[in-house]
Amino acid sequence: MTDLPVADFLSALLGSGLLLAVPLLLAALGEAFAERAGLLNLGIEGMMLGGAFAGFAVALETGRIAAGVAAGAALGVALGSGFGLLTIWLRVDQVLTGLAITILGSGLTGFLYRDLYGGQNRPLPTTAARLDLPVLTDVPVVGRALFGQPLLVYLAWAAVPIAALVLGRTRFGLAVRAVGEAPFAADAAGIGVAQTRFAAILIGGAAAGLGGAFLAVVDVRTFTDNMTLGQGFLALALTMLGRWRPWRILAGALLFGMLRSLETGLPILGMDVRPEFVGMLPYLGLLAALVVLARRAAMPAALGVPYERGRR
Amino acid sequence: MTPTTTRTIRERVASDAVAAADPALIEARGIGKRYGAVRALDDVTVAIRRGEILGLLGENGAGKTTLMNVLGGMTAPDAGAVLIEGRPVRIGTPRDALRLGIGTVYQHFALVPTLTVLENARLGVGGPLARTPGAVERRLAEVGRQLGMDVPPGAVVGHLSLGQRQRVEIARALVRGARVLLLDEPTSALSPPEVDGLMATLRELRARGVAVVLITHKLGEALRLCDRVVVLRQGRVAGDLDADILDGDSTVAERRVVDLMFGGSGVAAPPPTSGVPADARAALAVRGLVVRGDGGDAAIRGLDLAVRAGEVFGIAGVDGNGQTELADAIAGQRAPSAGTIAVDGVEIAGRGVGAAATAGVGYVTGDRIGEGSVAAASVAENLALKEVGSGGEGSRFWLDRRGMERRARAAIERFAIRAPGPATPIGRLSGGNVQKVLLARELARVPPLLVCHQPTHGLDARTARDVLTALRAHADGGRAVLVISSELDDLLAIADRIGVLVDGRLAATVARVDVDADAIGRLMVGGHVSAPDRRPA
Amino acid sequence: MSGAAARLAPVLSSLAAIAGALLVGGLFLEARGKDAVGGYRLMVERGLGSSFGLTEIAIKAAPLLLVGAGLLIALKAGVWNIGVDGQFLIGALAAGVVAPGLSGTLPNAAVLLLAALGGAVGGLAWATIPALLRVRFGLNEIITTLVMTSVAINLSAWLVKGPLKDPDVVPPQTRLLAKAERVPDIPGTEVHAGLIAGLVAVAGVAVLFGATVPGFRLWVLGQNPRAARHAGMDVGRLTAGALLASGALAGLAGANDVLGVRGLFQANWNPGYGLAGFALVYLARLRPLVVIPVAFFFSFLLLGGDLMSRARDVPTQFVEVLEGLMLVFFAVAVALERGRWPHRRRSAAVEGSPGPLPAQASGEAA
Repeated sequence: MTDLPVADFLSALLGSGLLLAVPLLLAALGEAFAERAGLLNLGIEGMMLGGAFAGFAVALETGRIAAGVAAGAALGVALGSGFGLLTIWLRVDQVLTGLAITILGSGLTGFLYRDLYGGQNRPLPTTAARLDLPVLTDVPVVGRALFGQPLLVYLAWAAVPIAALVLGRTRFGLAVRAVGEAPFAADAAGIGVAQTRFAAILIGGAAAGLGGAFLAVVDVRTFTDNMTLGQGFLALALTMLGRWRPWRILAGALLFGMLRSLETGLPILGMDVRPEFVGMLPYLGLLAALVVLARRAAMPAALGVPYERGRR
Repeated sequence: MTPTTTRTIRERVASDAVAAADPALIEARGIGKRYGAVRALDDVTVAIRRGEILGLLGENGAGKTTLMNVLGGMTAPDAGAVLIEGRPVRIGTPRDALRLGIGTVYQHFALVPTLTVLENARLGVGGPLARTPGAVERRLAEVGRQLGMDVPPGAVVGHLSLGQRQRVEIARALVRGARVLLLDEPTSALSPPEVDGLMATLRELRARGVAVVLITHKLGEALRLCDRVVVLRQGRVAGDLDADILDGDSTVAERRVVDLMFGGSGVAAPPPTSGVPADARAALAVRGLVVRGDGGDAAIRGLDLAVRAGEVFGIAGVDGNGQTELADAIAGQRAPSAGTIAVDGVEIAGRGVGAAATAGVGYVTGDRIGEGSVAAASVAENLALKEVGSGGEGSRFWLDRRGMERRARAAIERFAIRAPGPATPIGRLSGGNVQKVLLARELARVPPLLVCHQPTHGLDARTARDVLTALRAHADGGRAVLVISSELDDLLAIADRIGVLVDGRLAATVARVDVDADAIGRLMVGGHVSAPDRRPA
Repeated sequence: MSGAAARLAPVLSSLAAIAGALLVGGLFLEARGKDAVGGYRLMVERGLGSSFGLTEIAIKAAPLLLVGAGLLIALKAGVWNIGVDGQFLIGALAAGVVAPGLSGTLPNAAVLLLAALGGAVGGLAWATIPALLRVRFGLNEIITTLVMTSVAINLSAWLVKGPLKDPDVVPPQTRLLAKAERVPDIPGTEVHAGLIAGLVAVAGVAVLFGATVPGFRLWVLGQNPRAARHAGMDVGRLTAGALLASGALAGLAGANDVLGVRGLFQANWNPGYGLAGFALVYLARLRPLVVIPVAFFFSFLLLGGDLMSRARDVPTQFVEVLEGLMLVFFAVAVALERGRWPHRRRSAAVEGSPGPLPAQASGEAA
């Protein structure tokens, strides 16, 4: 027991777990807005992938991490507005629209990656600057892991209280909750149901794009085909697990990130397990957590239902 | 059904003075609206003055709700204009209406059930009211005091009673500065004392100069409360009655309104009621029934009920006293948490829809569109919905489309269902014809016990009469019929006995021949039948 | 709309969606400096104009038909099986393990049938978990089937790299079936018999929904679940049944690819038929018999993608782009068809100018 590198293990677990949690956290926070407003966004996977590619391409061309991150978010907004146009104004089925965006995202990024960069592994030349918080980084074991992270990590953490505040305490948040729960009542109270939903999906798209860009630009520092590997869908599950509440979503994302970082963490402890086996565990854990925490969860009552004035 | 004029002379004088001083606060001029081939509104002009309560009367489908939706910004008219204080205004959205001071209280309310009272009041508020911290809260408290509202602002609306929700709706409209208040069938979900409370509130608002529009199909209420009544018939203004007539002999006013509503055509009297069958066997025996509602609270709390073969047993009561839960439990759609339900001696409580149907329960649901029918399915398929594969006629595996069509043709003929054919999707039929399909579906199986919830809701008078006649005939054939209706007239027309459902229990059970509407109304609020009327039922 | 026009409108919407996707996809190719016209011509000439092309299309159609049949059952019943990929992988792995394991012990036909059954059972088993979670705990199957796919990707990779790996070769894969051990060709063609299974499956679904009681019940469930409950149908069993049948057919599609085409299961192989299946079934308007031509068309696109990638340097992902575009255009076409354009609301304004809004007591600003 004594010579096991427990401290290294914990530090690695935290460090990589936190990084792994960030894209999920961002995407799930955005999805919480969309779902609270009544929109189930299955296009989130395509939006993340699009954000990852746009972020990678722009960061590569400009050599600037920030530009890449901004491009990822911008592409997310563009795809989000597409989702909004189709589902809110044309009242197209949300699942159909979402899957269409996911297929498009996967196809377009794969196509362009091959076409523009030959499909070879092109690492980004620059690294996102780490922002070491003085003193805090010196805390043993967790110090470096928690407080020696790239700036975007802190921003993602800051997004949690901001999202909680906006959803819970602002007029916009109230409107979002109302249109997802009782769109007729919201309409009758003078709220623009379509506008509110549109704003929510733009937030969802931006957050998904940002999450994807973080993955490609800050964490992995390159792009690969379908590199999100279902993380967008995972964010959907985390949103449900967190019952559309930012703090709970943060807890779910952190837990999931830690579980995933076992893949790199366990070998430090000298355990010889196949990464695929460990890779399976977080998902099984997620299912178990859903059963315990989210069964019969009261979804936003109008989730997935288009609103048309004059029809209840 | 005798309306009593409760307005005082002083009030009359006051409202006369206001009326004289002021032209119309709001006027709908020449409004027209079509839905496909149906003219919902045709050149309708109605003006409402400050400090006036205007009754908008008419049958179901006369256009009352459409007119309200036009004024509230929910529906865009095809023709006509809305004027406020003589100036034309644009009401494209509910937001426009609110900004113009038009507040609407919808029949099924427009509150977000998961939000608190205060959050609902804040919803959609803009301008200075939203910018000033605590402004909405203060206004709400103030309005609440004026109206004598008993609801804390932090209460979650989903936990409130229907009456409380309505008061929240009214208060919210006033918080947002409503000068015109539109109420759609506001008494339909209220008990008689709550109705009295509402009327007091509306009178108070009138005194403050608010223009109130009361949309209702209940004559008595309108005559009791309104300063003026406009009657709509088939989308047109059939006529109006002013204060002179309303304040005169109430029976005269009543007859005038009935003439206007029904165009003097008159509706044939429902079939006569046969006597209570003597010591017939109990087809349905319910004991100690407890059923939880969707919210988890007990909606039926220890109910006993026996329905004999050959009788129509009516259950009266204000909506929301456990009617749906009772019907669902007997039909096997909801498992009771306690008690027994026996149909012809077979225990079926909590055994599911199949067991109930096998034991002989037929169920015409009160929610025809939501659960009674499949809109995209044909008339034939909807008629076959329950028997399909049940092993009666035909195979359990193969669908007998030809047999379904044959039976559908027979049902269309027998019940005079107006449909182009058996293959027509039921979603294209009118509400009355959908109801006939559901009734035909149940009667085809000749169930020993037929449960029918809200048999005439939303039906025109003729169809309603046909439905009631069919129910009565089913009982006269020696079967038991349980009719649950918030329309007292349905029950008075065909029931042998009437039980009054109050708060999940039968408050009383009386023989039809012993009671009139007033007596039942008193029972609905927990009163008693006066001594000479009571007789063992 | 007249009767004929009403019947034709859905067909036109789907055709318009396909045309629109090909057009925009072509413009996209041109914008990327590729020869779109030449590419499309190549697709048609090599794909439709040669026996090689037709054979390939027929072979590639089999898994699409099987997946499509499964999705038809689920979607018509209103059950969202988004986890087809996972069910496919588990089915493929099961077939890839069963067939070599039994080979030699039984006649080859029996081995193949058992392996195919193994594939179907694998897919069914994979759908069982979301079905149980849905019926028992009310967990939304959209989420759970997606999560199950992630589990399947990891599980199948782990198994084929570890316990189930063919020890005689280096790459992680199951034992390769010899040509003679695979699904035989349909006589007179070079198309293996999986196509027949696919066609039978779709035809079976057509019969299920057209003429049987279970099909009718599933359809009612999809149209109005409350009406299904009201009519005494066992909603839980129907929901689970739709998900399981859907999973079994997806698993069978996996077995088809292993037993008929590839001869083995390899780690990290995932053709991703799930999303393509969705596009295909939607474009067929959830009509079983229409699924057949649409499946052949998708198969034609897949082949065309391969051809263009080899000859014209167009990445194979172009097919996904086309699928996504088709779905988007299809969505718009359906919206058009229903007349759901957001029409300008005519307001209650009088003739002439609407005039400014009077200032209000409530003090609300616009």
